[in-house]
This record gives sequence, structure tokens and C-alpha cells, in this order.
Amino acid sequence: MMRKASPKQRRGRQTAIAYLVSAPSLILISLIVVFPILYTGYISLTNMNTYHWFDFEIIGLRNYERAVLVFDSGFLSALLMTVLWTGVNMALQLVIAFLIANLLNIRHLPLRNVYKTVLMFPWAMPGYVSILLWKIGMFNSQFGLLTQWMEALSGLTVRWLQNDLSAFLCCTVVNLWLALPFMIMIMDGGLKSIDRSYYESAILDGATPLQQAVSITLPCLKPIIGPSVMITLFTTFKQFDVIYLMTQQVGSQTGAHIHTIITYAYENAFIANNYGYSSAISIMIFVLLIVFAQLTNRRTREVNA
Amino acid sequence: MRKFVCALMAFSLLLLAGCSGNQTNQAGQSGPVTITVWHDKEDAIIAVLEEALKALEPNIHVVFEKKTGMTESLKLVGNDRNTAPDMYLFAHDKIGVYAEMGILTPITELLGDDALAGYVPLTVKGVTYKEHVYQVPLYFETLLFMYNKKYMAHSDIPSTTEELYAYMQRKTKYGHYGFVEQHSTPYYAAGWIHGFGGSLITNTGVPCLDSSQVKATLAYHKKFVDYMPGETEYATVNTLFIEGMAHTTIAGPWFIPTVREAGIDVGIAPMPVVDETGLPLAPYSGIQGLHVLKVKIQQNKDSIIKVLEVLMKPEVSVALAKVSGCAPAVESCYTLEEVISDPLIMAMKQTAEIAIPMPNIPEMDVMWTVTGNLLTNVNMSGQDVDTAASNAQKKALELIEAMK
Amino acid sequence: MKKRSFKRFAGGMLINLFFIGCCFLALLPILYALSVSLDAKGSLLSSNFSFIPKEFTLGHYRKVFTSEPVLLWFSNTLLLTATTMIVAMSAAVPAAYVLSRKRFAGRKAVLRILLLLYSFPSILSMFAIYKLMSTLGLINTHIGLIIIYAGTMSVFAVLNMKGYFSAIPVEIEEAGRIDGCSDFNIVTKIVLPLARPTLIVTGVMIANFVWNEYIFSINFLTGSDRMTLASGLYSLQATETSGSWPVFAAASLVVSFPVLIFFFLSQKHMISGLTSGGVKG
Repeated sequence: MMRKASPKQRRGRQTAIAYLVSAPSLILISLIVVFPILYTGYISLTNMNTYHWFDFEIIGLRNYERAVLVFDSGFLSALLMTVLWTGVNMALQLVIAFLIANLLNIRHLPLRNVYKTVLMFPWAMPGYVSILLWKIGMFNSQFGLLTQWMEALSGLTVRWLQNDLSAFLCCTVVNLWLALPFMIMIMDGGLKSIDRSYYESAILDGATPLQQAVSITLPCLKPIIGPSVMITLFTTFKQFDVIYLMTQQVGSQTGAHIHTIITYAYENAFIANNYGYSSAISIMIFVLLIVFAQLTNRRTREVNA
Repeated sequence: MRKFVCALMAFSLLLLAGCSGNQTNQAGQSGPVTITVWHDKEDAIIAVLEEALKALEPNIHVVFEKKTGMTESLKLVGNDRNTAPDMYLFAHDKIGVYAEMGILTPITELLGDDALAGYVPLTVKGVTYKEHVYQVPLYFETLLFMYNKKYMAHSDIPSTTEELYAYMQRKTKYGHYGFVEQHSTPYYAAGWIHGFGGSLITNTGVPCLDSSQVKATLAYHKKFVDYMPGETEYATVNTLFIEGMAHTTIAGPWFIPTVREAGIDVGIAPMPVVDETGLPLAPYSGIQGLHVLKVKIQQNKDSIIKVLEVLMKPEVSVALAKVSGCAPAVESCYTLEEVISDPLIMAMKQTAEIAIPMPNIPEMDVMWTVTGNLLTNVNMSGQDVDTAASNAQKKALELIEAMK
Repeated sequence: MKKRSFKRFAGGMLINLFFIGCCFLALLPILYALSVSLDAKGSLLSSNFSFIPKEFTLGHYRKVFTSEPVLLWFSNTLLLTATTMIVAMSAAVPAAYVLSRKRFAGRKAVLRILLLLYSFPSILSMFAIYKLMSTLGLINTHIGLIIIYAGTMSVFAVLNMKGYFSAIPVEIEEAGRIDGCSDFNIVTKIVLPLARPTLIVTGVMIANFVWNEYIFSINFLTGSDRMTLASGLYSLQATETSGSWPVFAAASLVVSFPVLIFFFLSQKHMISGLTSGGVKG
């Protein structure tokens, strides 16, 4: 019985320490994020609505039976739109941020810090302010700068937000404007951490800039920016403000119908003052996110490694 | 682990202690009572109320808090003794929702059954839900037909919608607009629908978006939209009028001070009549007044009654009408010279009498979004009226079903 | 030789032009707001807009400062932001470190769950958060908001910092261990200084989130003396009856200005942190 601690015991001890050290943040997260989701799950089983606001009772899965109705063809196309939205935005974001971050790290660029600071500006504005500024200052059919410029150039009055395609593109532009600063900053930080000597030896071997980017920059960058990319992926996926404020806000709809699952659920579940019902929808979205996360599993595993 | 749990518990205890210190106006009722009123109104209106309530100081102190997103917040905190206000000042259209939730007290329980005896009948009707009266009305308002006197002569004022259309055809060019309104916003479109004898929803809460009247309105109104800007939100519409780019508009009384400030000589005309039906455009009217929350009654009943009594005096109604351009809710005000001689107030009263009080039933809550979508689909995405209307009706029925 | 330097010059010019274009795009709406807020005549919406106002005025800014208790909002926001940042970072840094360095049972599961939790919009569970806070008696208190913000942002912070920690070579730590450093010392003396850029980025992100958050603060705080800048700004434009675009434009710049200063300062530190040491393999 007087043996040294076995590897298993050591591992157990390490696990305990690990949890102890991360306890504050895990407890905080459980309280503010996990508990509310569970509570939402509980509410989804009740009939909490306008008529039973305080005296609600458990009614089982009836809200879910009803919620399934929301998952109709409109929901399916919203799901497709969400995937498209996430895909297009992520691809553009990664490519543009990679390009800009690399250019920012070119050796002879005396104004580098000025550029970098200015490029961070969009980040400093509260999101909804920027969105409203874009909507009214840029895209408005009467006063928008872009509309006026377009008129001066081609004589055409463009109603940017009225049809689906152009509204989608406009929302993408605004989302890129909002999201690129973070991505550039992350990529820039990542690039800085790559050892210069890799490039020096690559140059000696006669590698072109493109080859350097593919065989040195990308592989080195991947593990560092991976988690941030995943985070941005999910931010884009759950984006509500941009699409809602640009095209669907009640009282200022523009005629475009670009719905992501979040805006679709909002319009179909959250205006009816039935918390039981909308909680059921929320939980179903959560389940959907789990599925989505499983689909991106391969990538996550890489990140977690 | 245990250590951390203990630390966390200590931490949360500390927080609890900290916050109970924050809430001051608890228990000890001996001192002056503070009554909190949430609102979303302009400063000038609140100033009038505060002035009137000075009489109750120092025993009763009334705090007006301007609250953004008030209607949503009330759903959350309406039953929370520590956070809910004593009263809120808002239009009457949320009465049904809140009454069903059980957060409102009928004001007759505080002031007696004939509390609103001297009030304009349409206001009393508007604030009654399921035979209970839930609001002390202060004033009522509706949308007005406004024109810029620089462009439109008195003789040009359209008396029918076709005349208005002809005017739009003539004048809408070179960046000018003959007429602008928030064409795809339900609150504004309702006037047209009523002008065709239709409505958005029945008194019993059945939506009528696919009724022949609504469809006729949508089909007819579309040609007006073609002569209006691509946006329906207030920023665009109001700015066009303020900048003198739009000759006429339909807007609320709150818009008038801004218009005058911009140096525009604004005139107010009766709503044009729909040629087909002979009915004038009849917008929704809103009855603005004080609602009392149930949760605070026990604690502050007497003070709340005193506050209401002060604000029910006709002088307050008159003063409010003067600053807001709205119509006083107390009938006897209309015998006073200063009211009768005010053209804005009288125009408001005239229009408000043909106007239709917004429905106060809970079902109306979902109609705003659905109708908004229907209007955008027809006016801006060019969808077929029949299909769009029947889809919207289906959606409305679905959502109302989902409320229950 | 001459030719090559010309080529380099032209290339440099192109890159600079590219960046000037980017900067212009980044600034476009902000310049627009600036010009609107300084223009005495126009409103935000004007059919003949020019970036340089025809008549300058500071009136809109004066109105922002006189009609609303902006300085009070400012100090509320500052308090919330600073406290949230401290709470969230001190909770998240150890967790992120452990999750990136130590191999322990349930580690991968925790990471997966965190990512999943991050993906769930907290707006959807707002009612539940409200119930929780109301049970704890924390509605209408700044402490309540700090807990909410710190909880929400912890998920982000842990995930965001974990990647960078993983990129720091283990050899550096092992070298420290051979020199006889304790675990605690290794983290504070070696790892954290190396991770400075990510600490700053994450901190700035948290601060930025709190600074600009308005939905929770509107719903969980009442009374204009407790409001934050973002929620105050939101209420400035929220209704048709009270909206004034030039004042709103001025106010949004006032709100953003401190963040810009903060960015500017933190960015300098980030750069110096990288060049003096940096995470080099």
C-alpha cells in the first residue's frame, strides 16, 4: 500500500487541479449561460402566455408539437439562407482579412500603425449605430451617399435594399465592415508570432511569395487563429442585428426577404407573447446548433487538439 | 473545489448585501412617498405634468422616467414589486395584453365607477377592455393631413383621394413629391383601410386581412405608393417634408413643432375622402393616459389616487393639449375659449372623431408585424394582392393561435 | 538597380493607395456622421450632401451634453466596463491556460460545450436570465449587469485565449521548470508576458462588448441615473416622436470616442509586446 502515486492517480490529481483552476469561469458560465438555457427548457414545457402569465403550469410537449409547425418551408429556406450567409461571409472575411493582414506586415510600410488604427475604427462604434448609419446614410433611396453617387454616375436610382439579392449583398458589406477589424487584428497577431527565420530559409530556397504563404503562413496561422475563426463562424451564424435592422425592422421594412433562422424564429415566435411557445422554438434552435456543431466537428477537433 | 464554492457563495452574499442597500424606498412608509411613472413622451408633456404635481410635494414625490422599450420591459417587470413602476403613461393599445397578464388594476377600483363620467365618449370606449376601465385618459391624438402652404394653395387642397392622386402625378418630379406617407407601415395604412370600410381585425379578435375591403385598399393604394419614395420609415418621410421636398404628408401632432422649427408654413386639412366609398381616410387614434400597476397598489394606493386626481383636472388636460397639439380627453374643456380658438386642437378633435381607436385586444399585438409584412410585400416586393393577403391572413391566424 | 528601386517605389505606392482606399471605406459612415453632427443646417438626411458642412456648429454636441446626463452615463459605463473586464479576465485566463496546457478528463467535452454555448444567442434566454437576476435581487443593479456580462463574455474569452496559449511553445515552460520555477511562477513570469497580445485583444473585446451593449441594460436597468452610454444613445433615436438625427449622430461619436482612444493606446502596447520578445519558436 505504500506505493508511489500511480499514473492514474496523478492524472486524477491533475484533473482535479484543472477543474479547480477553471472553476470561477465555469461557475460563472453555468450561472449566466447554462442555467438560463435549462430554465428556457423548463418554460418551454409550460403554457406561459398572455393568459397564463403568472399561473402557468406544465403542459408537456404541446409547445413542441406546435413549434414544429414553424419549421415549415419558410424555415427550410431560412436555414438554407443561414448556411449561405455564413458561408459567403466567412469566406470573404477570411480572404480579405488574410490579404490585409499580410499587406500590413510588409516590411516597408511606414504608415502601418496609422492604417491599422484607422481600420479598427468600425469596431469602436456600437453595432446598431453603424447599421443605422449604413442603412440611412449609405443605402437610403433619397439621401443615401451610395444612391447619390450611383445617380451621378449612371443616372439610375437604385433601391439597394428592395430586392433579395442586392439586399443580401448590402447586408454582407455591412457585416464585413463590422466584422473585419476583429479578424484583421487576430490575423495580424498571428502573423507576428510566426518565426521570421522560416521565411528567410524559404527565400534562400527560392520560394515565391505565394509558395511562402501557402506552405509557411497558412499552416502556422491555422492553430493560432483557429478558435477565433470558430468564434466568428458562430457569430456570423447567429447574426441578427444586421439583417433585422437593415431590412425587417417593423415600421421600416424594405421589401427584401432574407431570413436567417434567427430572424425567422423571431418573427414567428417572439411577437405572440407566448413564452412557452417561443422557448420551445429557442430550444429547437439550440438543438439545431448542436447539429451544426457536430457537422463542423472535424474542424473543432483540429482546434481542440 | 470546496474552497472556490465557498468563495463564490461569500461573493454572492456580498453582492446581495450590496444591492439590498441600493433599494431605498422600501418598507418605512412614514416619510414622503415616491411614485414612479414610466413614459415615452416628449419633455414638454412631462414638464406640464410635473408642474401640476408640484401641489402634492413634499408628501408625494412623483418621478417620471423615460423608458425605452417600455412595452417589453413591462412584460418582464410588471409583477416585480422592486422594479415595476407605480404607473405608466402610454397609449391605450396595450391594455388588453397587460390586463390578461394580470399586471393592471382597473382604475374604477381606485376612483369609483363613474370616474370617467365627464370624458369624451370615444376615449372611454378606447380604454375599456372586457367591461373594465384601465386608463385615466389625458389626451387623444390621431394622424393629420398636413400641407406645405408654400406649394399648396388653399384651393388645391384635395378633398378626395383621386384629387390627391392627380396632384401627385402633376407635382412628383425633380426630387419633389406631391404627397408622402409611411406607406407600408400599418399605423398609417390603417387610415386607408378604414376609408374603404375595412379593418385589420374585428372586435372579437379575428383578423380580416383577406377581406374584400382590405384587398381593395391594397390594390388602390398601390398607385399612390408608386409616386412615393422607396422607404416607408419615418426618417425619410418626415425629412422630405421638413426639407420642403414633399408638398403634403400624413403625420402625427408630435411632428408639428419640428416642422415649424424648420421654418415651414404648415397647414392642416381634413382627410381626403375615398371616391369609391365616400368615406374619409380614418386613421387610428391613440388615447394617451395613465395605467396603474397592480403590484404597487397595496403599498401606494392612497398616493396613487391623489396623483390621478390632480392629473384629472381639466386645466391639466388643456395645458397638455396646448403643448402636444392633441385633443383634451375631458369633455368640459371644449367649452373653454382657449381650446375652441386653437385651430390645431380643433382640427385634431375633428379628425379624431372620425378616427378609430386602436383595438386594445391582445390579438392586435401580432397584427402590427403581419400587416407590416403584407404591406411591404404588396407595395415594395410587388407581390400579387390576393396571394399576399391570404398568406398574411393565414399567418395572422397562426400567430393568434400561438398566443393561446 | 535604378529600375528595381522604381519597381519597389511603384509597389509601395500601390500598397499605400490600397490602404488609403480601405481606410476611406472604414471611415465612410463615421465621416458621414461627423459631417452631419457638425452641420448647422442639414439633418442627417440631405439630398445634397457634402462631407464639409456649409455651416459649422457645435450645437448638436452641446445638446448632447446638456440635455442628457452624459457624464453620469459615462461613469456608469466606465464602471461596468472596467469591472466586467477584470472579473471576466481573472476568471477566464486560468481556465484558458489549463484548457490549452493540461490534459485532463473532460477537457475536450468542456471545450466543445463552450463553443456550443457561445453559439446560442443570449437574447433567446433573456427571460430566464431575468428570472435568475430577479430571484437574486439583482435587477436594476450594476452588479447584476456585471455578472451577466462577465458570464456571457467568459465563454468568448476562454475560447479566444486558448488558441494563443497553445501556440506558445511548451519548451519555454519546460526550461523554466528546469530552472526551478513553480507552476504559478511559470504562468505569471513566462506565459502571461508572452501572451500579452491575446490578453489585450480579449480584454479590448470584452470592454468593447460591454461599452456598446444596450439590450440588457435597457431591460435590466431603470432610471436615467443608472443608464449606460449605449442605452442612453439608443433611447435617443428609438421613437418617432423624439428622434433627432444630428443629435443622434453627435451622440454616437461621443460614445465611440473613448473606445477609439482606448484602442489606440492598447494597440501600441500590443505592438511593443510583440516586438520585445514575441512568441517566437
